[in-house]
Amino acid sequence: MSLLRVRGLTKEFGDLVAVNDVDLDVEDGEFVSILGPSGSGKSTVLRMVAGFEKPTDGRIELDDVEVVGSPPFERDVNMVFQDLALFPHLTVAENIGYGLKQSGVQADERRDRTERMLEMVRLEGYGDRRPTELSGGEQQRVALARALVNEPALVLFDEPLSSLDRKLRQHMQSELQRIQVETDTTFLYVTHDQEVALAVSDRLVVLNDGKIQQVGTVEELYEMPASRFVADFIGDVNVVEGRVTAVDDRTVGLDVGDDEVSVPRDVAVGDLAVGDVVDICVRPFQVRVDRAEDDPDAMGSAAGVFSTTGVVRSRSYQGSDSQYGIETDWLGRLSAEIRSASFEIDDQVTVTWDAADVHIYRHDGDGSADDHGGP
Amino acid sequence: MTESSRSDDGGADSESEPEAVTDGGSAAVVDDRVRDFTTFLRERPQLRTLSIAGPPYGILVFFFAIPLLAMLVVSFQANQIGGAWTVGNYVDFLTSDTYLTVVWRTFLISVQVTAIVAAVGYALAYSIVRFSRRTTLLLLLVILPFWTSYIIRMYAWINILQSDGVLDAILNLVGLPAVGLLYTNTAVLIGFTYVWLPLAVLPFYASLTNLDGDLIEASKDLGAGPIRTFLSVTLPMTINGVITGIVLVFIPTFGSFITPRLLGGTNNVMIGMVIENQFKSAFNWPFGAAIGMIISVVVVTLLLLATRFGGGLFGAGGEAS
Repeated sequence: MSLLRVRGLTKEFGDLVAVNDVDLDVEDGEFVSILGPSGSGKSTVLRMVAGFEKPTDGRIELDDVEVVGSPPFERDVNMVFQDLALFPHLTVAENIGYGLKQSGVQADERRDRTERMLEMVRLEGYGDRRPTELSGGEQQRVALARALVNEPALVLFDEPLSSLDRKLRQHMQSELQRIQVETDTTFLYVTHDQEVALAVSDRLVVLNDGKIQQVGTVEELYEMPASRFVADFIGDVNVVEGRVTAVDDRTVGLDVGDDEVSVPRDVAVGDLAVGDVVDICVRPFQVRVDRAEDDPDAMGSAAGVFSTTGVVRSRSYQGSDSQYGIETDWLGRLSAEIRSASFEIDDQVTVTWDAADVHIYRHDGDGSADDHGGP
Repeated sequence: MTESSRSDDGGADSESEPEAVTDGGSAAVVDDRVRDFTTFLRERPQLRTLSIAGPPYGILVFFFAIPLLAMLVVSFQANQIGGAWTVGNYVDFLTSDTYLTVVWRTFLISVQVTAIVAAVGYALAYSIVRFSRRTTLLLLLVILPFWTSYIIRMYAWINILQSDGVLDAILNLVGLPAVGLLYTNTAVLIGFTYVWLPLAVLPFYASLTNLDGDLIEASKDLGAGPIRTFLSVTLPMTINGVITGIVLVFIPTFGSFITPRLLGGTNNVMIGMVIENQFKSAFNWPFGAAIGMIISVVVVTLLLLATRFGGGLFGAGGEAS
């Protein structure tokens, strides 16, 4: 039985369909993230759950009770706002105690619970300060405490970490996880930042153009993206265009550049027919780069391996890995993450990757128009 | 940053000098003089401050502080300017039931007007900010009455409110009895409310525009209904604007004499009318000055109390807005 059950949720703003027939379940105690680019409708979903927007259509059930139509102050959810929305005219303790005060909790108990919350978010002794006197990270903690102190069934997060620098954001991520476990509360977290979402969530919901693209664990989304959009959005990906030349139960034959490669049938998502144009996606870390052989004929296409030649155009160090940008002869520009090789700009290289590592999506599949790998 | 801008200035200066010598055109000479002048001022920050702040302060001193002082001096003289020194004017006023009744009535009217204007004005400003996209147009409409002379607008109200005036005609038309509001307390309240409403709406509007809508949502999200949210977030966050609006309405109402004379007649004498009378009819300037001083002290005291109380009421909430 789900804590939050959303069915057929739709929101239209005039002609714009911001949220399109979204189904979503969040189980008790889960940490679920809704991940999507700006304008994908993720915040609108959140705001409908909180009660700030009225759905055009669909149902939202919290603990098996329909909440559409009831105002925000009657819903057992609390939100951590993007800009935190701390009350500047109240002290930190008054901010945290605000919700308790509204629900008629006595002053003594309010003080105790506020104090306990300050401990939980490690802000002991900050109660009498004003929010404006705190740093960004401390303000985040106050906002979190203000939501959690009411012991809501569900806490909603509208990208609250996006204003923090990377290091602080990573720290707050682990704090969020710790607090979620300690308080045994259900979190629904909205963000466009895949790094945050991948790091903290039990399950991810990928949203684009108001539609759910895929729901799953981080591993599922990363290893078996349901669409090119998801592959592109969760982690980096190279996209190469190809044409289907043969399909049977176990393999798919592809015409890629000047090459013919056959890949296992199960890397292709959905139905395929001969003649379909497909996007072939491969992660940069699965791309191998070698120094080019003098004899171009030596690197013929082995079965089940994509290969091409190219020139190194860019490289950047990323800690233990280096990222290379390679201009290939037939397949456009590809990027590769390599641990232990050093190539210089303008080096001639061969680029290969295993057919088993790719994912294949029919071109019209998800309508994402931007063409990364096209020549 | 400071370093680089300083060196930029130095560069510009050194370039300009030979240019002025070779060119010699009058425009260049003027440019050069302006630049010399600004450089001269830049090196003397105190003189620069004085050159900016001096004129307004000068105006305040000559047209406000000195006259006020003159009034204070005159108020301690008997019967006419240059009369014998006395505190009699103050004693006379403060021991007269008639005058104190007028002050009390003035106070009551001012409080009523301020309360009505604050309530109506806040609602108006709130609706303009929250529910409308045509804020500019609506604000323009709010301040539109300022384009017509105050006196003319008061005469318009006489036309509307008098017996068998516009209002009565309309009431008759819909089958209601005539009211003949002119020269009543109600007429004075209507007139004041009409005159001061735009003055209060502007500061209300300004403070409400600065109010972050997320704070309202946060309050509701935390379980506060609309009324609680208004009292514990909206009002405290805009208290500075509210106090400004109240001050802007209360002070001129307390001292006004035209509106009560034109719309209130002789039944609704306010203290401003008494003061005016001392200066223009009774020609007892010292007594008029004394009343003026007393009223000024009373109003300033009231406002100081009100702001302190108002600020304290909401935990000095305005400071952040």
